[in-house]
Amino acid sequence: MTELHDTLVEFVQVLRTADVKVSPAETLDAMETLDIIGIENRVLLKNSLSMVLSKNPEEKEAFNTSFDRFFSFNKFSSENNAMEPDEDTHQDDGEFDPESDAPNQQSGQGGQGGGQGGGGGAEASGELDFEQLEAQSELGKLLLSGDRMEVMIKMAEAGRQVEVNQIVVFTQKGLYTRKIMEAMGLKGLQDEVGELQEEGGRPQMHLAGQLKGARDHLREQVRDYVEKQFFLHADESGKQLREELLKKVKLSNLEKRNFKDVQEIVFKMAKKLVSIHSKRRKTFKRGQLDIRKTLRSNMQYDGMLFDLKWKSQKVDRPKVMCICDVSGSVSNYSRFLLMFLYSLAEILPKVRSFAFSSDLGEVTRLFQQSKLEDAMAKTMRDYGNGSTDYGQMLADFRSHILKDVDSKTTVIILGDARNNYGDPKSEILREVYDKAQRVIWLNPEPKSSWTVGDAEMKKYAPCCHQTEVCNSLVHLERVVGNLLRVAV
Amino acid sequence: MAIKNDDKLKDIEAIRGHFESLGYICSVEIATAVFLAYHLEKPVLIEGPPGVGKTELAKTTAEMLDLPCIRLQCYEGLDESKAIYEWKYGKQLLYTQVLKETLGEILDGATGLAESVDKLHSFGDIFFSEEFLEPRPLLKALKAEESCVLLIDEVDKSDHEFESLLLEMLSDYQLSIPEIGTVKAIPGKKPLVFLTSNNTREISDALKRRCLHLYIPFPNAELERQIVRARVPDIPPKLNQQLVAFIQELREMDLKKVPAISETIDWARTLILLHSESLDPELVRQTLNVILKFQEDVETVQSELQGVTNRAIKAT
Repeated sequence: MTELHDTLVEFVQVLRTADVKVSPAETLDAMETLDIIGIENRVLLKNSLSMVLSKNPEEKEAFNTSFDRFFSFNKFSSENNAMEPDEDTHQDDGEFDPESDAPNQQSGQGGQGGGQGGGGGAEASGELDFEQLEAQSELGKLLLSGDRMEVMIKMAEAGRQVEVNQIVVFTQKGLYTRKIMEAMGLKGLQDEVGELQEEGGRPQMHLAGQLKGARDHLREQVRDYVEKQFFLHADESGKQLREELLKKVKLSNLEKRNFKDVQEIVFKMAKKLVSIHSKRRKTFKRGQLDIRKTLRSNMQYDGMLFDLKWKSQKVDRPKVMCICDVSGSVSNYSRFLLMFLYSLAEILPKVRSFAFSSDLGEVTRLFQQSKLEDAMAKTMRDYGNGSTDYGQMLADFRSHILKDVDSKTTVIILGDARNNYGDPKSEILREVYDKAQRVIWLNPEPKSSWTVGDAEMKKYAPCCHQTEVCNSLVHLERVVGNLLRVAV
Repeated sequence: MAIKNDDKLKDIEAIRGHFESLGYICSVEIATAVFLAYHLEKPVLIEGPPGVGKTELAKTTAEMLDLPCIRLQCYEGLDESKAIYEWKYGKQLLYTQVLKETLGEILDGATGLAESVDKLHSFGDIFFSEEFLEPRPLLKALKAEESCVLLIDEVDKSDHEFESLLLEMLSDYQLSIPEIGTVKAIPGKKPLVFLTSNNTREISDALKRRCLHLYIPFPNAELERQIVRARVPDIPPKLNQQLVAFIQELREMDLKKVPAISETIDWARTLILLHSESLDPELVRQTLNVILKFQEDVETVQSELQGVTNRAIKAT
């Protein structure tokens, strides 16, 4: 029974790397379920575990894939009869059909290999004109006994012993293969083969040959097993490692081939933020007493004021206006900021976006209607080719958009404030500052560069509520998170 | 758990069979969920698009087991006075008035405020006892003597506070009433709890963790035909096949509200009423508003009507 539970715990680990968040309580429930339904019926097992371990459609998808991969090598030990350890196996019999009524044969991942007892035994099953010697070493005995089951069990045990589920990189395959072979008793086998070969004599040579054949066959199987473990465990964690790196890298250093990965990360972040902030908070139980509500709810107490009710305010969603510099190197940052903001459409319904290098243009409609890449490409084409002129941008903003800015608006400006020594027109920014709820300036350059050369941050910074360095996804996430967290 | 008629829940095929005999055709997953809910004593959270039979499942289970079905419909602002219990204020007030006379007797012999108050205390909290408690659905379900089926419908329409309220009930099958204490379910007679959700918002993780999760998708063609046959017995098989094929194709289209099983059944009934033996485009055009509830959907489908109908007719 405990092997069953151990296997289940391993499966839960696999699920967790596949991004299905299984809690310990749910694992316990799954164990209880296993005790009730048993393991004979694969479909029942899959349905039941899916109900207990995965709690939304995405998780169910991930669960299905993991289940099929993990349990196609049935790891359950059996106490049951359908274990025909046939000596003369065909090689493709390895993948035990789990639909059959006796799927509980302890076969490890070496499915392809078939019985390695068969490989060596095939020669031996012919007539021998000398006596067949007994193998002395543990492993040798095991291999020649033809008990496929036992070998698989031992392999899985050795795997657990050397913690093959800690495998991280593909190149560790050889290392783990060797470790597992050693844990299974390779040394003893090698020694015996050496001895036999020294002794000479036909029976000894024959046995040595058998043992060597069996050993090589076993090595193949172990290698297979390790590879499958790699696909189950490491593949995902390698991906997680890459994700971590991508989050921290400077966005201008990203190459096109990373864009897709980064996009996925952005979506994930957006989803997290959505789930945190989707409930509109009410601040209550403090502040002003709401007399009307108090009186009404206390009528049941004959007018005595037992229950005090306070005025509550709904924390409203901010209206965001996002002005992005799309020239040259800053365009990468703009791309990801816009991507982020549009993934948050659920909790930031009113996002208006503008792009500029010298002239300012509204691109809201474009982003709402087309896909992200197309919209970005078109934006770059239309607005990305001028020399940066913040003064002109601000003038355009004032003449067309300033009237829509009110006390609930947050204005985000993403740019490096490099004005090519033109007129910064920071008084316009001051006007915006007065009218809007918040003005946030995001600058991809590190703070030390903010006053170097033609950067006008010194003039713009006092007109902003907040200025931030923003050049990686981590910064983006923080900024957007703060955006959502603000109380009215 | 040992509720009455629980031999019907002995294994999954039996459950399916019983459901079928009551007119509810279901898949293996659904029967598994009911089986597990009973044996693991856990509530079931049923999610899926509207109209696939989530509420029906709870009602049919209650019918199958011959237990009362207690229903709690959720909405924003639902709180514990409507869901768990409320005091019978009117009764309390009335009794105090009526018993004003006897007050004199009780306090007889007590002099001064402190003694009087002590005497009153010694009589316990009479006015906050079980007789003055008005149980609402959740409490009723817990106290039911022969167990019951508790259906908490559309839990995603309620707010986070209500979900937190439910947590104690769903994990330990008990409720705390400050004045009385903790009310626990009778061991062995816990209610069978079903929660339904349309996924309009994300249910909190704490709630999900305590439940088994069942997702009921739209059925495939075979299952849908069986369902229509069970609910509308006098439908000719050819018409059944055609209309199911039509609806299945409609579900692939980009509509604002995709027709669900209840719409299929309604449409089947409509077509029977109109004495039709098979589909034809004119008939479909006239009855389109039975399956589609938005004008823009009707327009979308009308433009493709000919093609879809022909394909559906050919499917027989």
